[in-house]
Amino acid sequence: MAGPMASGHDSRLAVDFCGLRFSTPLVLLSGCVGFGDEYTRVEGFSHADAGAVCLKGTTLAPRTGNDPHRLAETPDGMLNAIGLQNPGVDALLDDILPALDFSETRFIANVSGSTVEEYREIARRLDDSPIDAIEINISCPNVREGGVEFGNYPEPSARVVAACRAVTDKVLITKLSPNQADIADNARRCLEAGSDAFAVINTVAGMAIDAGTRRPVLGNNRGGLSGPAIKPVALLKVWEVHQVCKPHAAPIIGQGGVACGRDAIEFLIAGATAVGIGTGLFYDPLLCPKINREIAEYLDEHGMENVAALSGSLEWNE
Amino acid sequence: MNRRKNTAAIFAERARVVGQQAFDAGQYVLKLHAPRCAAAAAPGQFIHLRCAADLPLRRPYSILSADAAGGEVEMLYKVVGEGSRRLAACRAGDELDSLGPIGNAFAPSPERPNLLLVGGGVGIPPILFLAARAREDAAANYTPLVLMGSEIPFPFDVTDSSLPFAGVANGTRATMAALERRGIAARLASGRGFAGCYRGHVGGLARQWLDAAPPEQLAATAMFACGPAPMLQDIARIAAQFSLPCQVALEETMACGVGGCAGCSVAVRDDNGGIAMKRVCVDGPVFNARAVFG
Ligand SMILES: Cc1cc2nc3c(=O)[nH]c(=O)nc-3n(C[C@H](O)[C@H](O)[C@H](O)COP(=O)(O)OP(=O)(O)OC[C@H]3O[C@@H](n4cnc5c(N)ncnc54)[C@H](O)[C@@H]3O)c2cc1C
Ligand SMILES: Cc1cc2nc3c(=O)[nH]c(=O)nc-3n(C[C@H](O)[C@H](O)[C@H](O)COP(=O)(O)O)c2cc1C
Ligand code: FES
Repeated sequence: MAGPMASGHDSRLAVDFCGLRFSTPLVLLSGCVGFGDEYTRVEGFSHADAGAVCLKGTTLAPRTGNDPHRLAETPDGMLNAIGLQNPGVDALLDDILPALDFSETRFIANVSGSTVEEYREIARRLDDSPIDAIEINISCPNVREGGVEFGNYPEPSARVVAACRAVTDKVLITKLSPNQADIADNARRCLEAGSDAFAVINTVAGMAIDAGTRRPVLGNNRGGLSGPAIKPVALLKVWEVHQVCKPHAAPIIGQGGVACGRDAIEFLIAGATAVGIGTGLFYDPLLCPKINREIAEYLDEHGMENVAALSGSLEWNE
Repeated sequence: MNRRKNTAAIFAERARVVGQQAFDAGQYVLKLHAPRCAAAAAPGQFIHLRCAADLPLRRPYSILSADAAGGEVEMLYKVVGEGSRRLAACRAGDELDSLGPIGNAFAPSPERPNLLLVGGGVGIPPILFLAARAREDAAANYTPLVLMGSEIPFPFDVTDSSLPFAGVANGTRATMAALERRGIAARLASGRGFAGCYRGHVGGLARQWLDAAPPEQLAATAMFACGPAPMLQDIARIAAQFSLPCQVALEETMACGVGGCAGCSVAVRDDNGGIAMKRVCVDGPVFNARAVFG
């Protein structure tokens, strides 16, 4: 396993993700940490506390995103409708990637498109870049013409994956939508199409209404729900996708509402190899070291050798 | 292009509530012991506060004053919803998760030492902070002139001013007592007809002073404003009409508060006339009025 070696972490926390070494199972999630350097504004924050960092969703051309408001607080969570504001793949390749410190953590690009061709073209350009892996976002609920059209159905999802697979040898992670009838079937088709791994789940489609004005709170009307409110949904979806992935040893980045060590541990038990943190970081920018510590304590308490031993250890009631 | 790493200038602190002072209409001045934030804070910057354990998204509040030596910062806020309601229930000794200071700051220039400072409603705090810091800046020789508007009773002691304010009618003499004591000229506006206040929007008051100012004084003047969007738009229009530089502090809903989520982005005009998306939290909250309002 090649990878950042400098980290002073407990080696029991390290996980193998499709041959990439993550120094801890924590992954900072796409759209929550900009293009990698934003949280370094906070004293005490270090990328080295996460095994990997997913960059903001990137499209072929720059996008300005949705009109305000883009955020709404909801019980135990929040809605967002950013609309994939990003500078486009050329800026990612020319300006952003060269400035990232790959000795600290793994960086994963997050790709979005309106057509299969757009996904393919971005993946093709990223193939010849230092990025560690490519996450295919076929599940963004905030762009009408975009990924959600693909991600809610297995057939078009598989077409996007196959198109990307054809142009890159990078590790391909498919980010699955919870807003579909059968996530396991979708995962199966994406595996066949060449996906190496999965991110489960993206946000749950939702809306907030201002009763005073009788209008949706979000400029985009609809948004994606994240945070602790979606954790139970996410845990079940991770378990369902894990049943598909297990025979192929395809890893999952479990995500949705992780806000403490217990949450992360539950995702690992459900079948995740790594655990994503998005909204939880808004609550506490210094969350990662705390979760790392709590996972290590759990391993001690339960006499477990490493995080891998915890992954998929759920005892299903027969 | 090689981007420099950000400097770690935002501090996560357990801030201790020193005290709160209640004013009319659900307005409070909250004093927190947050020494690292206090040492670094500049006018225009804000603090991101977790108002209650079960309300994990933070609320942004402008810094009203910062005392580096005492390690204390003050905020002035109005109860408008659940977060501020919970904040108002905090007592001395309570602790709150805080992140700060965040954002850029107002940037006055010694070339234009007359600072026409305009604050409306909950936009008043950064304006008062700027007035205080400008007065303390011995090197620059600034003259802060403060105009404040509110449609609810002002959250401070009001007194009659004996400091001159050119152009403003004699009847308009109400000022903030604390500013008067420091020798900073100020006047108040309200549509509510409070005694001694200019009746109308604070922009009207600004216009009176500008109309009376001789050209050489205008050439030495810059405007700074914070308040509700219609007020800022009005101030931006006035500044453009008098060809004055103007900086405005904006508000937008936030999640991360540190530049990570792009949830607080607003469209501003860049130098080439194109549209650029800027985050209110870290690219702002202070922007050039012309870039925002055209
Ligand atoms: C940079 C900045 C500085 C601010 N300074 C001050 C200040 O000095 N004094 C003051 O009283 N208020 C200030 N505000 C507004 C203040 O943040 C809101 O009043 C507060 O967030 C309301 O929270 P709530 O839970 O009481 O209200 P609710 O309406 O219940 O809040 C619901 C959600 O919307 C968000 N929200 C509501 N109103 C605003 C708003 N105007 N701006 C941003 N987010 C909002 C809240 O943070 C919360 O996430 C500032 C806002 C910004 C962006
Ligand atoms: C503000 C915001 C922006 C997001 N942007 C993206 C994005 O660009 N691409 C993507 O695949 N997921 C995006 N997501 C989804 C997150 O990566 C994550 O899957 C989801 O929020 C669930 O995790 P959480 O509950 O820990 O936040 C975004 C989420 C938030 C809150
Ligand atoms: S609040 Fe997240 S970028 Fe400004």
